[in-house]
Amino acid sequence: MSEEAIRVEGVSYAYGDVKAVDDISFSVAQGEVLGFLGPNGAGKSTTIKLLTGQMRPQTGDIAILGMNVAKDRDAIQGRIGVCFEEKNLYLNLSAKENLRFFARLFGIRDFDPTPLLQRVGLADRADDRVKGYSKGMQQRLMVARCLLNNPDILFLDEPTDGLDPVSSQAIRRVIEEEAARGAAILLTTHDMDEADKLSDRVAFINDGTIAALDTPENLKLAHGQRSVRVRTRANGEIRERVVPLDASDTGDQLKAVVGAEGLLTIHTEEATLEAVFITLTGRGLQE
Amino acid sequence: MSAQVSRAAIVWAIVRKDLREYSRERFFVVITVISIVIYGVAFWLMPSSVDESFAVGIHQTGMDEIFAAAMDDQGVGIELVQFESVAALEAALGMGGAEPEQPLAIGLAFPADFLQRVAAGQQTTVRVYVDANVPVELRGAMESFVREIAYALSGNPLPVADPDREVIVLGEDRVGAQVPFREKIRPLFAFLALIIETFALSSLVATEIQARTVTAVLVSPTRVSDFLAAKGLLGTGMAFAQAVLLLLIIGSFANQPFILLAAVLLGAVLVTGCGLIAGAAGKDFIETLFYGMAFMIPLMIPAIAVLFPGSAAAWVQVLPSYGLVQAVVQSSAYNAGWLEVLPHLGLALGWCVIAFAAGLVILKRRVETL
Repeated sequence: MSEEAIRVEGVSYAYGDVKAVDDISFSVAQGEVLGFLGPNGAGKSTTIKLLTGQMRPQTGDIAILGMNVAKDRDAIQGRIGVCFEEKNLYLNLSAKENLRFFARLFGIRDFDPTPLLQRVGLADRADDRVKGYSKGMQQRLMVARCLLNNPDILFLDEPTDGLDPVSSQAIRRVIEEEAARGAAILLTTHDMDEADKLSDRVAFINDGTIAALDTPENLKLAHGQRSVRVRTRANGEIRERVVPLDASDTGDQLKAVVGAEGLLTIHTEEATLEAVFITLTGRGLQE
Repeated sequence: MSAQVSRAAIVWAIVRKDLREYSRERFFVVITVISIVIYGVAFWLMPSSVDESFAVGIHQTGMDEIFAAAMDDQGVGIELVQFESVAALEAALGMGGAEPEQPLAIGLAFPADFLQRVAAGQQTTVRVYVDANVPVELRGAMESFVREIAYALSGNPLPVADPDREVIVLGEDRVGAQVPFREKIRPLFAFLALIIETFALSSLVATEIQARTVTAVLVSPTRVSDFLAAKGLLGTGMAFAQAVLLLLIIGSFANQPFILLAAVLLGAVLVTGCGLIAGAAGKDFIETLFYGMAFMIPLMIPAIAVLFPGSAAAWVQVLPSYGLVQAVVQSSAYNAGWLEVLPHLGLALGWCVIAFAAGLVILKRRVETL
């Protein structure tokens, strides 16, 4: 990770009296995946709209690839890729026609959509009209579309939401490849497991503000509770016990458990991002 | 990374995409083809001329020369059909029970001794048959005609001094060259063709907004102005092309083709503005259709008003399409030149600018607030 691809400083946006984004600041480096986590209405989509030039911030500054998003919109939009939450594809056109159309908008001449469609596993349906595609296929085409200009920054809004495992896996692979290529990626998702695996850092957004921003590991270490889950059998009855690893008598408790007869299993347990989010915001991600 | 791309290339890419989408919207393609065929066929089935004469059945004996002289003198528009007997005349008038092929509406039966009795100054009776639908003025005219025949036969002058008459025809005297219904309905057909394409445009715009594909377009190097320009060009182009095609099919370019093209182009701009508003306002197909109709019905009124004699009411004359309709009718039916239609085209241009600008502003606001 090197240069900053995205820099956001003190940005706010309100719809009337309702503050959707309230004085947020963060940055994303090239090649970094930043997970943007929060429940519905937390301000994730508004933030993406502000970053992609669809809306202008009411206060604060946004720099994309070193350029001001309000002043250099054309130049910025030629270098970003956006994958929306809603499936906004032209349903009466084929996958190839969809991609070729957007390639023309980016000024890409002699664009060959086949390699991109192969990458998302749609090459064999390339000439079919999109309205015949499954939800997962449409989402993979959305991802392909946001890659056609080899963007320096990718904005992915819930790219795997509600998809089958095959489609989800295909999209996750693409995200990893793009990050490896050097693209900065802002990933909004409800899926904590996905965010944990894919993100270099995660930002918890709640009520328009960033509640925490760090690597998943640091957040879990700082705010989560490690423990050991032990199962024993005594008098024919199976018992389960959780021993916190950060308590003052953890050593004594573990000695007692391990020394006991009838020990069946023992597992260490790490805090989840979901638990950390609840700890920090007092609410779950699915609310 | 994308290359530098010109505004024109972006606009053209959107237009091409829209045309491809439109060609796959079976509903609009079928409606377009069917409407052109129906309008074309209906036009050619309509009367191409105005029959300015009417037939009068007559039974008389020994008065051929007198009638010929009377017809030469004042019988413009009257065609006398001779019958050998009163029964034959009455049969032709539909009084014989059987329905005649071409029933007459007026008949005159002169008695066999009419000539002698009139010459002798004796009373006689001429029977005048008139269909119930014949206007009362025409009944009176027939009675006067019989009276004049009688005076002519008796050798007596009319009992009053026949005044000199000066007929002043307002505008071009079109006796013998009346504008047929076919010519009058031409603007209405042109408008119907324009309107079909407006619905197609508003549907394309509404779909683009509802499916949020416009959002995807606008996070590329495309600007809102590119999107608006593409929709405006597409709507105007499609409406213009279809209206011109229909006008070609119904043979409209014999008189003043450039005036007609200018009028149709302005009409295409006008209905495109309305289509953009309907597309931006409608949340689904039915709502789009509703808004489209709300604009189109008032626009069709001047074209319908042309079908009726007399000047259009003042409120019809202020409708945006009035100038266009007048320009089409004046140029195609009356062969009017640029100078004569210029006021109409000027009025239409004003309305076009207003409608098109309103369409662009409303669609812009809708797109920017998605």
